[in-house]
Amino acid sequence: MSTQHGAGSAGRERSSAIYAEDLSKCYRIYRKPIHRLWDVLLNSRSYEEFWAVRNVYLEIPHGSTVGIIGENGAGKSSLLKLLTGITTPTTGRVEVQGRIASLLELGAGFHPEFTGRENIRLNCAILGMTPEETAERFQRIVDFSELGDFINRPVKTYSSGMYVRLGFSVAATVDPDILIIDEALSVGDEHFRGKCTNRLNEIREQGKTVVFVSHDMGAVKSMCKWVVLMDQGRILEQGTAEQVADTYLKRAKARGNERLSMVHRGKSEYPRWGSGEVEVTHFEMLDEHRSPTHMVQTGRPYSIRMMWKAHRECANPVFGVGLYRTDGTYLNGSNHQWRQQPIELQRVVPGDEGEVEIFVERMPLNHGQYYLTLFLYDHSKASPTAIDHREHVLTFEVLDVDRAQHGLIQVPSRWTLARRGPSGTSELESQR
Amino acid sequence: MSLARLYRSLRRHAPLVWNFVDKDLKGRYVGSTAGFFWSLVNPLLSLATYTFVFNFVLQSRWSDVQPASQVVLVMYLGIVTWGCHAEILTRSTGTLVENGNLIRKVVFPSEILPAFISLSALVNLLIGMAFVGLGVLFLGYISPLADPTPPGWVPAPGERGFESLRFGLSLCSVPLLLALHVCFSAGLGYLIATLNLLVRDVGHFSSALITIWMFGTPIFYPESMVRERGYGWVVDLNPMAWLVDAYRGAILFGHWPEPLVLAKLALVALACLLLGTRFFFKAQHRFADFL
Repeated sequence: MSTQHGAGSAGRERSSAIYAEDLSKCYRIYRKPIHRLWDVLLNSRSYEEFWAVRNVYLEIPHGSTVGIIGENGAGKSSLLKLLTGITTPTTGRVEVQGRIASLLELGAGFHPEFTGRENIRLNCAILGMTPEETAERFQRIVDFSELGDFINRPVKTYSSGMYVRLGFSVAATVDPDILIIDEALSVGDEHFRGKCTNRLNEIREQGKTVVFVSHDMGAVKSMCKWVVLMDQGRILEQGTAEQVADTYLKRAKARGNERLSMVHRGKSEYPRWGSGEVEVTHFEMLDEHRSPTHMVQTGRPYSIRMMWKAHRECANPVFGVGLYRTDGTYLNGSNHQWRQQPIELQRVVPGDEGEVEIFVERMPLNHGQYYLTLFLYDHSKASPTAIDHREHVLTFEVLDVDRAQHGLIQVPSRWTLARRGPSGTSELESQR
Repeated sequence: MSLARLYRSLRRHAPLVWNFVDKDLKGRYVGSTAGFFWSLVNPLLSLATYTFVFNFVLQSRWSDVQPASQVVLVMYLGIVTWGCHAEILTRSTGTLVENGNLIRKVVFPSEILPAFISLSALVNLLIGMAFVGLGVLFLGYISPLADPTPPGWVPAPGERGFESLRFGLSLCSVPLLLALHVCFSAGLGYLIATLNLLVRDVGHFSSALITIWMFGTPIFYPESMVRERGYGWVVDLNPMAWLVDAYRGAILFGHWPEPLVLAKLALVALACLLLGTRFFFKAQHRFADFL
């Protein structure tokens, strides 16, 4: 089966699963709804243009697994809609060979009032399957989804995890030639995700084409050898996962710094309290090259530096920093006094000033967003009292491109594996 | 051509269309406790309401020469005919927006939506007509009505004298009438569905228009009544009036539809379907963008 969307006549027969030539999509933003009607009827031009995808050339060979990454708004979803034929391109054309099944967004392609069963039939019919083909696969889809009795209830009653289960079950069981998956898999429990990964591997082994879309470099890298990086509707770079990851990382750093420092330029909306004898005037995070950053890579060194200034006398100020995950989970807290070799600052008088710096050899956290809270407390009293306490003093992101370990933290570890058998004895060892 | 395109698409997506119709009918007849019952009772309720309004409040009489039970049947057939038409228009209006989730996110042949609505409405109409058939069987054969014509009665212009209810060969023309009916309504359905997607206000506007149109169609009053008062053009220009009259003749009294009326109907129905689908297909490639 070969389908072609868009303008232009069928070119010579190509061997690629998806071929896009000079593909662009322009959305028209109308000032008034009635202008849409005039546009369709009279080709009037009272709209502004928004180019979501520009001049994309793309060739995806049969049997390959390709990742498309880019930030939100980079045009990934618009490109997918063009490739699948949901929308028509403004310029250029797409040639697709084979049946595409797509898992675009949560609950896409489901009718909320229909039950799970009815939606399976609906989706199979939309994918162009005959009732016989549907009947043949029906039970497999139901079994794969593990929805139990929910399969007989309207999908509007489903949780987001259930939506994904049903959606994936349909998309993966209809034997598509090309499977397009857009982030959706990030929802759902570990068990089902494992099943999905297995099924995806099966599909890839069968020589089917898989296009995987995400804004998460780590996820794409673990799945795909070839990666396409999109930005502002254009393809910025495509190549092996390693090549593109490097560009991606640099861009993410630059962008993250810009975005996160923007957040903190204005007056903080988070609480700050304390008696104010000593004030922290500057607070920053430094990367391994000692330049300010809001983005640290897992396993790399970083430091936190602050400048302070005393306004009034204070008996025993102690600087501390707390580390939190964005959901508020308290991950770590320390100060310069509670150490095996504590630093005793003693009395400070007005006019005193200086810096405090905390050095960390390797960032132990995995991919995610985190924030720091400053604790400047006076420890001369029976219980420490706040001098300058600042919640959310700094937000930062941890990037993990290697995805060597899963979970919340990276544990430096060494693996050994021994094998003894008739063919001999071997001892294998892995660092990092 | 748009009609050929529609035909090919419906053939290709027949399982999908059937899926929608099936779900729709089941939702109506299986889902609710008295599902099937409602499709009979609803027209009966409106029949009772309008009979009350016309006969008692407005003091209008349908006819001197038709017994009340026969008038009930005549009105009922008009109501189900109109009901089918109104259902197609009303449901088509919102259908693209309602199914936006499908249109925006999967490759979905949206042209099947007004089609499935029309088919579903047609099934309802057939159920209503079967009910009318039972009425004809009863009032025409099992306990025939007596002729109530008063002596010395003079028909008004266009008014017919008493006729007994009967099944005739003219029933053979009903499938043709149904086909033209569905083509006409579906054509308008395609038009209004597209319009409503482009300009959402159309929905509000059209429901008012449908009501006005209903009262401009001789369903609750005889056609002769408007002719008498010089508003014959309302009926002459209204394809739904032609249809209602043709159905009544063919199903209740064994009259074949007049060839001229059939020709006019066919012309209007095909023109509507052609224009409606053409407009629909012209805008279709941008539906996903408009939603």
